[in-house]
Amino acid sequence: MNLETPLDLLIGETERVNPAILLAEEFMRRDAADLLSADEIDRAAEVLNDGRAEIETIRRQIAAFARSSPSASSRTPIGF
Amino acid sequence: MSVQFKSPSSSERGFGERLSRSLEYLSFKARSHNAIASYELVERVLSEQRKYVMYREMFPAEWKRSRASLYRRGYYTRYSERVNELFNLVNENCFPLLEFAYDDPENEFEKFAIPPMNVDLCCEEIYFENLKVSYAAALIFCVPDEAWDFLNHRFNLSRSDFPEIVADPHPNVWDGKNGWLLGELLRLVDHSTGNPWLDSNYCQTADWYDWDRETIAGLTAEYEAANEVFEKLNVLDEMIEVDPGKMLRALIDFWNTGKHPGLVLPSPPASENHL
Repeated sequence: MNLETPLDLLIGETERVNPAILLAEEFMRRDAADLLSADEIDRAAEVLNDGRAEIETIRRQIAAFARSSPSASSRTPIGF
Repeated sequence: MSVQFKSPSSSERGFGERLSRSLEYLSFKARSHNAIASYELVERVLSEQRKYVMYREMFPAEWKRSRASLYRRGYYTRYSERVNELFNLVNENCFPLLEFAYDDPENEFEKFAIPPMNVDLCCEEIYFENLKVSYAAALIFCVPDEAWDFLNHRFNLSRSDFPEIVADPHPNVWDGKNGWLLGELLRLVDHSTGNPWLDSNYCQTADWYDWDRETIAGLTAEYEAANEVFEKLNVLDEMIEVDPGKMLRALIDFWNTGKHPGLVLPSPPASENHL
């Protein structure tokens, strides 16, 4: 049984820039008339899935964190 | 992700307030650097790029000539002017994409429905005089009272002059492989042709199609086939006009026994025969 709390999961989460942001930046610099190749479309679709998964993960963590029952602690989190 | 702690004694604000602030931060994190907006942007660019590729492959000459913007929003505001141009080309050259419920500029085409071409027999009022006469005649198996009224009015035919119609048709009626014209007519009326343009109606939940090359090509072919079915009915219409009683008897016989008559096209009037 996994005894990690939502807070533990949050602390353990890898911090990175959502890949959709990097790809959006890349797309914004690109001329739309230079059509993407099939490989580029496949890669973009993968990045899109990855980016969506990260957004959903964070949303789930927020929801789980908000649902967590309060418990006494000698330490109080003050933020990140 | 790192978390800093400080002892409760040094905290000046309530824990609940700081927790809310942390949650606010996490919510921001989900949006931070506009992750969601970036995701939506990538999704839109990808969707448009796929459509540009389709455009170039399906309509190369139009693509080469086009000066429509790849960036400005078109009538369908979720898409660029160039993608809007593709929608219009599909509508003009493939099938009626824009005739159904696409008068809303906010519409999306990632999934789309097609307008039924067949008559909706379960909910619509049936205007017999607007139907092809062969289709109207075949309705004696679905809405007999109204259909016989129409046939009586149009051709002075009475139900009592014809054999009884059995409740269950012969299996040949549903066999699409034999290519029999009367079978095609009855399957059309029954909405069981296998063609999505002919089998759908407004009472059912619409089928949604993906916007991709294979689907567009498939629906284009099915649309042509559906029009051919209606074209073929012209032959039956002509034969009914020539001898309505004989054709109606043949239709009922086919329904009851599965025997298909040899259909011979009526000769054109002498004035049209130039050879």
